[in-house]
Parts: sequence; structure tokens; C-alpha cells
Amino acid sequence: MAKESFDKEIQFLRMLVLTSGAFSRQQFADRLGISIHTFDKTTRRLKEIVGSMYQHLPEEQSKEFAETFRFSYYDSTDPVLLFLFRAKSVKGSESQRISLLLGAMNEQALTAMELLDICCSGMSSDLPLPDEKTIRSDLKYLEEVGVIKKEQGPRPYRYRIQNDLVSALSDDELIDLYDFVDVMANTQVPSVQGYLLRDGLKKNLLRNHTDKHAIEPFLYRYQYYSRILDEAHLFTLLSAIRHHCRVRFLYFSPKSEKSYASKNTNPLFERESNGKVVKTLPLKVVYDHQYGRWYLLSYGREGILKFRMEGITQIEEDMPVDESLFETKTNELEEKIRYSWLIDTGRPVTVRARFYNPGPTESNFVKERVLLQGQWGEIVSEDDVSFTYEITVNGTTEIKPWLRSFGSSCEVLEPIQLRREMIAEWKEIQSYYEFV
Amino acid sequence: MNLFEKIFNYQIISRLEDSGTFMVSSQERAWLKTMLEHPAAAQAFTSETLDKLQSILKTDQVMDTSHFLIEKARSIEKQVYHPLLRIFRRHIMNKCGVHLSYEIKGGRTINDQLALPYKLEYSIVKREWYLLWYHLKRKAFMSTRLKNIVSISPETIQLSDVDRIFNRISQILDSRKNNVILEVVPEYNRELSRILYALSSFEKEVEYDEENDIYRVKICLLGGESEYLLSKLRFLGKRVRVIEGKYLKRRLLEASMKALERYGVNPSKEELSHK
Repeated sequence: MAKESFDKEIQFLRMLVLTSGAFSRQQFADRLGISIHTFDKTTRRLKEIVGSMYQHLPEEQSKEFAETFRFSYYDSTDPVLLFLFRAKSVKGSESQRISLLLGAMNEQALTAMELLDICCSGMSSDLPLPDEKTIRSDLKYLEEVGVIKKEQGPRPYRYRIQNDLVSALSDDELIDLYDFVDVMANTQVPSVQGYLLRDGLKKNLLRNHTDKHAIEPFLYRYQYYSRILDEAHLFTLLSAIRHHCRVRFLYFSPKSEKSYASKNTNPLFERESNGKVVKTLPLKVVYDHQYGRWYLLSYGREGILKFRMEGITQIEEDMPVDESLFETKTNELEEKIRYSWLIDTGRPVTVRARFYNPGPTESNFVKERVLLQGQWGEIVSEDDVSFTYEITVNGTTEIKPWLRSFGSSCEVLEPIQLRREMIAEWKEIQSYYEFV
Repeated sequence: MNLFEKIFNYQIISRLEDSGTFMVSSQERAWLKTMLEHPAAAQAFTSETLDKLQSILKTDQVMDTSHFLIEKARSIEKQVYHPLLRIFRRHIMNKCGVHLSYEIKGGRTINDQLALPYKLEYSIVKREWYLLWYHLKRKAFMSTRLKNIVSISPETIQLSDVDRIFNRISQILDSRKNNVILEVVPEYNRELSRILYALSSFEKEVEYDEENDIYRVKICLLGGESEYLLSKLRFLGKRVRVIEGKYLKRRLLEASMKALERYGVNPSKEELSHK
């Protein structure tokens, strides 16, 4: 069987979240380059998962599929897109068998034969009964993913669920653990495993406290919700980097958006021929906090290459390369991105900007923000009304939006070209509102 | 490590939920073990709990993402945990009131106000925690940085009508909502994905006008979000235009005029000379 790919679901969800409500069924399907039939099928499948994930939370029960994605800040802090990672297909009989096995091992350590008996008596009558070989292969799988543990002792081996994480902690400690996992999953990357763990701990807490208010004390403002979709490829890439392996994938460059300006949202689902087959040596993965997006930086025949994670589909690991080549290229890359605001590997330039302090009665939020977000730049001089910030960056394209976000509190001094661009942009912005 | 593991399948998870079984995979434990190395862990747990966790996870692997994963344009992480989180989260859970003393702008301290803690809010942008609470005497919804809280009374106060107050808070929050509409300047439609990414942290709806090929984004602003949206709009520059939202329009006009003044460009004079 071909490896199950979730590319379609990922693209589908990304588009649904980013363009919530914009398109009709037909438009949506067109933009993804799929038939309306496939669109409906994908929706049905995702709906089923969402429905099943939220069935035990009464408040969320009646939520409609599309509404699930129109997130409402104060309602719930469950990451709405997490269910993507619940989408791996499993046969009905297998899901029933595995949950029976885990349920049984939750209470006591059992042997394979004992588990076989439990399974045979517990399975629905319309499903085929498992044999010993199946149970042994289930146990092997569960041990591999770290869900169960083989107990020490003579044969026949006994297995038990590996849940010390909750069984060894008191109720009060479990609250601390849940909070820590919640905070870290929401503030650090990678986060998907954290969200999965949070989900398990939350359900465990809900069994004791029925009050949702008690379970969700934290809110996270200005979170990039769609960032977790791109973590889908992250571990494949990290593993390839670790093993110095090339990867192969079909890439839909955002640049091609320009050549398909009429279908400008997302060419990722166009016919395959629109994508480009890429074989490249991955070196680093970059998470950009400015947009909540992920990049792959790699080495290919053309030199250093950059890919947006959202354009990568059908990724597979390829052959390894010499360690020395990997090391050399990694060092080269590290040198090149040392001054990248994000990932620009262009020529380094020194940018100097004067920032104006707010009035004397207000706290200096301008300086606070420059110190917080200004990366490796430095404040080189200061007087009563302003301060000068200086930074060496590769090109000015990536830092420009940040400087502009300060509005009239920031005046670019150097380079002169950037200063001119800023003036031109402010003139244009002014023209938008002048006569309104 | 594969995030699409069979064991994470939704049918398995919901069956386990029915039987009350807690399951955790080695991936999740590896993530947790890695996070426990973060300095925040020391503030999140008592030292006994932290020891216990570390011993439970002793045989687990750590995720070695740090060598290959680079974070860019990240704010300095000045605060991930705050010592008061553990205290307030329990007050929130128990729905009880406390007396708060806190510092306000200008450095003055307000003493012993009867407060009902509602939620703890982290700003991803400012990297700081806030307490959202209800001021019982003034009947007002408040937001205070945890770092500005000077003291909390040790004793808690049982309040009789907590649920009514929570309803009141929801009403206040709803009444502070405010809709604005932005339009992607069609010339920049090809940058739509980037623009929508930048706006993805707001409650929003996108509308597509097929005939004119125009995208409009309706943003539902919660109280106090205008400033952040303004900084995002300046960040995006000429790519988006505010269509509805008097306050935002006025502020953007002001920003552009003042900025041009800083650069020594006097637009009104130029305008006159053209005419």
C-alpha cells in the first residue's frame, strides 16, 4: 500500500483557516485543483474526525465544521487544527482491538495470551476475531511507540501501559503538569507533540473536574494558529538532516503564484505538472515568528536553496551524502544566514534608524519593542527625544516591514535607498486615506 | 518520529476516552523531557514534582531539534512562566476572590482591591503574562500585568454569585467587539497568502468578490486590539487598505503624515504645487 499522505488535508485546512468563508464549494475546489466530489469527500472525512474528537465536550458538541475553524478567542484554547494529526487511517477492527488491549493493560500487566482472550470476548460480534500473531504484532507496535512496556521477569512476558506520567502524580501535581504543557505548547516550537499530550492530560483532568472553566485558565493572544500544519513535515526533514540524507519532494513555489495570478491564493493543488520535482540536501529548518511560517534551507546544484514548508508535498527521504559534504555545506549556510533577518542570504548592509520616544508622560513602549524584537541590532546613541538603532542585515527587504510597523516613530537614516523607499510607501499609504 | 502515528488515530483516542484510559507515547514524553530543560520548568513545578517528572522520564529520549531548527525574528523571551501563575490558576479553578494590590501607570500602588480572577492571558507579542479579573467594587473588567501585581492576600473569599459575574464578563467582552473591513489592494493579490498569514491571529472572515477579483477581510477586533492591528497594517504597508473603520483610517493617515514630516517631506505643499 502506498504511504498515506496528508498533503491534501493539510492544504485543505490551511486554505480553510486562512481564507475562512471566502469561497463557495466550487471556488474552493477550483483553487485547490480538485473536483467538487473530492472536496466533499475530504470535508466529510475531516468532519467525522472533528465530530468524534469533540463528542465528549458538551459545549463544543453542536459546533458546525466550518465554525470550528472560525475560531473565537475567549471560547476555547484547544488548537483547532490538531485533529489533522488524528487522521491516520485505522481499520474499525484494529481501532477496537488496540483500545481493548490498552484498556486491559491499564488495570494490570498481562501476557499476550491473556490479552488474546480479553480481545476475543470483548470485540463486537460483527468483527473478525484476532489471532495470536495479530496480538503479538500489536504489542510490538505499542511497545515501539512507547505506549506500553514489557515487564521484567520470566516468560511469558507481561505487558502494561506506560502511564506513570499520570499515575505517579497527585491531582495537584497533574494540574501543574497540564499547565506547563499548555504554556510550552503555546509558546514554543515544535508544539504538536505538546498539544497531543495536552489533549490527553485535559481529558484525564475532565474525568475529575467537569467544569471547563477549571480546565482552561490560560489564553494566548496573537497566536499563529496555522503554524502547526507545517510541523507535519518537520520531523521527516529533521530526521533527514540528522542522517545527512537528501530528500525528494514535489514543490509548489509561492513564486509560481505570480505566473498564475488569476488563481492567486494557492496553487498547491493544481495538477501535479505545475509542481516541480526537487531533490535536495536539507541543512536547516527555520521558523519565522514574524508570520508564523516555516522554511527549509538546503543545498542543491544551484547552491543554497530556500523552500517554504507549505509548498512541500510528497516528501520522501533519499540517499545519504558524505558527512564532510554535509558539514561543509552546513558551515557555509550558517555563515550566510548569520545576518539574515529571516532567511535572506543577500549582501549584508548596515541599516540605521532613528526611533522617536513617545511623550514624557508615557512609558517608552517604542524602546521596549525595539529591544524585544530588534534581534542582534543595537542602540548606538540616545538623547531625550530619540535613539538610534543600528543593525547589519542581509538585504533590506525582510527588515523593512518591521521598521515600517513603527509608523512615524521610526525614521530610516541609512541606507539612502531604503530611506527613499520608505518615503515612497508612506506617500502611497497617505494617498489611501487622504480624501476619505 | 512520525506525527501521523496510528496510535494518535481519532477512533482509538475516542474509544480510550470512553474507557477512561490515559495513554502517552514516547514522542510526547520526548517533547516533555525537552521542555523540562527550559528554565520555565523551575517556576512551573515544586522541586519535588520536577524531580519526580525527571525520574519518570529518565529512560526517555530528548528531542534534538535545537541543532537543526532555527527561530528567526523571535522576540526576546523575557517571560514564559511567572511565579504567580500557579497561585492564580488555582484561584481561577476554585472560583474564589482575593484582595489584590497592584501598581498602575506612574508608579502609584492601588491597595487591597477585592478581585475575582477570570483568566491568565499571555501576549505572544509582548512575551508577558496578564491577569484578567473582575473588580468587584467598581464592577469593571480589568487586565493587569503580572509583574505589576504587588501582593495577593493569603486568604481567599468565597463569592456567592460567581457564575453571574462570569456571564457579566462575557457581556462586557462582547460589547467591546468591533468589526473593521480591510481590502487587499488587487495589485498585491499574489501576496494574498502572506497577507493572510500576517492577519491569521485575529478573528476574521474573508470575502472574495469574484467579479472584481478583490479580497476583503472582515476582522472582529476584541477590546484593546486596535493598536496591534495598526502595527500589523503598517507592517503590511500599501498592500492592504482599511475600507471600514474610522479610527484605523484616521490613525493611518496621521501616521503617514507624521512619518513624511520626519523625512522632511511636506505633502500638503507638494499637493498644492501640483495644482
